[in-house]
Amino acid sequence: MIDTKLLDSGFASIMSQVIATGQAPHFTELAAELKIDLATGRELIHELVGLTPGWVHPGTDYLASFPPFNLQPTQYRVSIDGEQGWYAQCGLEALAIRWLVPGCNVRIDAPCLCCGEPMTIEMLDESISLMEPTEMVGYSSAEIGGDAASRPFR
Amino acid sequence: MNLFRSEEHARNWDGYDEAMALANMAVTEWAEIFSNPFFKERSRPDYVSWMRSEDGAAAFTALRRRLPRAQTQ
Repeated sequence: MIDTKLLDSGFASIMSQVIATGQAPHFTELAAELKIDLATGRELIHELVGLTPGWVHPGTDYLASFPPFNLQPTQYRVSIDGEQGWYAQCGLEALAIRWLVPGCNVRIDAPCLCCGEPMTIEMLDESISLMEPTEMVGYSSAEIGGDAASRPFR
Repeated sequence: MNLFRSEEHARNWDGYDEAMALANMAVTEWAEIFSNPFFKERSRPDYVSWMRSEDGAAAFTALRRRLPRAQTQ
């Protein structure tokens, strides 16, 4: 069991790298960054995804989702201050990316899963400055916060 | 957990489940839910400690109260 201070450091380290690069560290890189042994680095990754609504690719140690971001491409393309380099875990978590980049314009581009037509949202801190179309909705076919094992498959 | 061009588009999606009809909501409503401190505090250096604090627990309780639940027949 990993102590809370190391969980804090691990979470902050992964999140800052994902924000900066759109990529998550491998557990060996995380271990080097935090000056811990490799086995602890691997355990840290798994404990963190157990504490958050994220996941590793099933059966591996590879971070696939670290919300609000996804490391594996999704249909939710994210641009921050005009640079496209991230993906949101889902359409709803996309709405929370702005809290990690205060003062930056966050743009979400995605196709509608019903018709394939484009949708766009732009947000800056508390403000939603653009929503096209304005009738856009979010929908979840499963209860949010449900069974952790089903997260990669919702 | 997806975005759709309208409520009708969500209902026409092949993954739509009527039991979760309450989860078909305007983006602005979802944006308010995803403004809970559980999401806003993610950039803090002690996020896990915060989640385990009284403030974190209170935020999580408030979040769960706002989330739509499945309707049984």
